[in-house]
Amino acid sequence: MEKTLAKKDFPQWVKKLTSWKIYLPKKDAGGRWNYAEADGEDVLETRQATLPPKTILFPQNEILLEFSKSRKGNAETLEVKEVLPPAEPTVVFGVRPCEAKAAWLLDEVFASEPRDIYYWMRRENTTLVGLACTPPPSDNCFCTSVEGSPHAEEGSDILLTDLGDKYYVRSLTAKGEALINAAKGLFEEAKPEDRKKVKAVHTESEKKIQRELKGARAVSEKLKTMFDSPFWDEEAMSCLRCGICTYICPSCHCFDINDEIIDTTPLRGKRVRTWDTCQFPDFTMHSSGHNPRPDKASRLRQRLLHKFQYFVQVYDKFMCVGCGRCITMCPVGIDIIKVLEKVRDHGA
Amino acid sequence: MAKIDTLKEEARKLLQDGKVKYIIGYGAGSNGWPAAPLFIKQPEDVDKLIWDPTCIHNLVRFLVDEKRRKGKEKPPDKRPVGIFVKGCDSRAIVVLLQEKFIERGDVYILGISCEKAGVVDDAKLAKKLAGKKVITIEVDDENRFVLTTAGGKIEVPVEELLAERCLECRANFPVIYDVLSGEKTKRAVDKPFGSVEKIESLPVEERWAFWKEQIDKCIRCYACRSACPMCYCDECVVDSIQLAVSADTTADEKAGRIKWIQRSAAPSENMIYHLVRAIHLGGRCIDCGECERVCPLDIPLRLLNKKLEKEAKELFDYEVGFDPDLPALISSFRDDDPQDFIR
Amino acid sequence: MAEEFEPRIVAFLCKWCSSAGSDLAGVSRMEYPPNVVPIQVMCSGSVSPLYIFSAFNKGADGVLVSGCHPGDCHYIKGNYYARRRLNLVKQLLEYIGLEPERFQMSWISAAEGTKYTQVIKDFVKELKPLGPQSKLRRTP
Ligand code: SF4
Ligand code: SF4
Ligand code: SF4
Ligand code: SF4
Ligand code: FES
Repeated sequence: MEKTLAKKDFPQWVKKLTSWKIYLPKKDAGGRWNYAEADGEDVLETRQATLPPKTILFPQNEILLEFSKSRKGNAETLEVKEVLPPAEPTVVFGVRPCEAKAAWLLDEVFASEPRDIYYWMRRENTTLVGLACTPPPSDNCFCTSVEGSPHAEEGSDILLTDLGDKYYVRSLTAKGEALINAAKGLFEEAKPEDRKKVKAVHTESEKKIQRELKGARAVSEKLKTMFDSPFWDEEAMSCLRCGICTYICPSCHCFDINDEIIDTTPLRGKRVRTWDTCQFPDFTMHSSGHNPRPDKASRLRQRLLHKFQYFVQVYDKFMCVGCGRCITMCPVGIDIIKVLEKVRDHGA
Repeated sequence: MAKIDTLKEEARKLLQDGKVKYIIGYGAGSNGWPAAPLFIKQPEDVDKLIWDPTCIHNLVRFLVDEKRRKGKEKPPDKRPVGIFVKGCDSRAIVVLLQEKFIERGDVYILGISCEKAGVVDDAKLAKKLAGKKVITIEVDDENRFVLTTAGGKIEVPVEELLAERCLECRANFPVIYDVLSGEKTKRAVDKPFGSVEKIESLPVEERWAFWKEQIDKCIRCYACRSACPMCYCDECVVDSIQLAVSADTTADEKAGRIKWIQRSAAPSENMIYHLVRAIHLGGRCIDCGECERVCPLDIPLRLLNKKLEKEAKELFDYEVGFDPDLPALISSFRDDDPQDFIR
Repeated sequence: MAEEFEPRIVAFLCKWCSSAGSDLAGVSRMEYPPNVVPIQVMCSGSVSPLYIFSAFNKGADGVLVSGCHPGDCHYIKGNYYARRRLNLVKQLLEYIGLEPERFQMSWISAAEGTKYTQVIKDFVKELKPLGPQSKLRRTP
């Protein structure tokens, strides 16, 4: 389905979607962009939020179950209750195409058998409305180097393209269509000249991408030979081993599960899945005290190998969508493109 | 602006003569920020060193890594490490010496004076540049930052772009060093705790509202901890393993370990983490501002630490990071320490 | 509120003085409010700030640390260290917006059963109007 929507009607569309919970990028008091709930004053902008919409599909804290102990006379019973995510229809507007593509990568991990019900319920209930980047929102965008583009469609249910006074609305799934049908009167059929314009806009924004990693596939091959290289020690010298690069990454998805006690008398608690990261020392700590990834060099290596070698081997896709966040936000300037270029050219 | 040519020559000599293991300095950064930490082992690489107002990082933090590395070397290379420090950073070295975490001989300190300027604040700079990319930043004779962009030069009085901590800095040149570049000109600071006083003056519920909103944002990436030269504990209270595990540790012992702070990034747990972090830095934080700079959510962590720096000064007349021979704040006391709050 | 709010106080009492003082109050059948969860510690100097934060986190409405009078610490200097460290804790808690009444410190000797009851009475009185402490309490 291909339609157009006058820009001035966008708030109308949002208003019509009364049975959906709605998020879109908003600027907070401190001037940062975040995915926040719609508040009646909703405009779409091509911005990169600090945290990607992964926070909606794969929240930092997910309660899996609740447990409590009770005692009657001498008998103790432990009650365990499964907790599922709320089945709320949700829309995220203005998703960057790379972020939607990251959701498509998360699908590989969480939605293939055995299916992760917590992720899947949220994913099923969420409609992602991508907005083609015109222009790329960050100096460090490099989606085009990792088989993506500023107008990629993977993972989105609808892709919007800004044509000046209107949006070109391309619906990609049934979920997307439902969203359009909920406000039918606002849309017009797309015309051939709109289509032409979309093409031009897309080509133009591709040209505006400033960063490039040449030969990403070759990097994958090369990485296979570099596991034991002292290269990683050198590259990781300045790494702080913080969680920034992975927590803000739209495709990183490692987690930890803990039982958290709320009360002890009587015992009451919850089992929670929380984000975790390969960059933390205790991520790979065995209960024996042995840590197979004992230093930051091996952790930096893991981050890059997971994204550019292992994932490619298993799914034939890069696990990096080129959003550039980890480059922009690394406090010590570790630049994934530069490191991978060095890998590619290593020993040449 | 201090020139580091003399320091570069010194660095080259040190490496040529094998007097230092390596040198920690600043080099060209990535696409995010002009400067980044640089580690130099070969004398010919010395020319990669830079010094400008974007050399914001406190490199002393890497001495913690070095200590761990040395611990694993067989036999350990006991030569000192050369390190570039600004005034604030040098105070971190003083604290590490005070706490005997390092010895004076472990470091060869290449000090640089910020003179009348300091380092720039990333957010303020981004605002000023409004999308333009900065190529170089310098300080001119009239104490203005000169920003060179592809579209030309922009001149701004330093006060407009200086990092908050620089505006409250009481050590704008190194307090300890082996060689120094730049003048020891003291920059006048009228309100060294002005930012803290602003929060203190709020009524209690507003203070709570302020901190709650800030701390709720925390995603517990622990960058604030990782960037801090004083957060050198091998095992932090927030890590999920705080139990020395041996072959004899039973499963029950492992399961029954105390969890002071839950893993969920929930408001209460975030708050306890930040209280612990702040109190552990009481009398130790030297206000290099790294925790606040690295925080991806812009949580004003300096204001927490700075509060305790202020109390140390006002309650105990204790100045952090100036005297390596002074006993640490909380491992010392005076008979007449205030106790009017005790019943 | 139908029932009057009864605050829960976690009291870290040093074994040699304050805890003995509370025992004295007990065996002398002095009357004082039953709101205290006493925790005996070896010395006020052994109370880590983390214990205090943690008590609030686990639901305390008020926290008391009590030790021997200056000069009387069984370990000579423990209470001097505590005095410094916990002053910082107090300042920090107030700064982040916890009501100042919620964290208290006292010197109570083994002979001061009466003082112990008075400290508790006053503490309870000050906590009542504040209501339950929820700021630092574990998010359910
Ligand atoms: S990486 Fe590409 S898709 Fe992602 S924000 Fe940048 S331009 Fe848009
Ligand atoms: S690469 Fe950068 S962001 Fe990632 S752990 Fe290291 S310092 Fe942190
Ligand atoms: S690895 Fe970096 S550039 Fe790639 S998707 Fe993650 S944050 Fe974006
Ligand atoms: S750096 Fe910021 S977000 Fe990360 S743990 Fe520290 S305060 Fe929280
Ligand atoms: S033993 Fe009572 S305070 Fe030290």
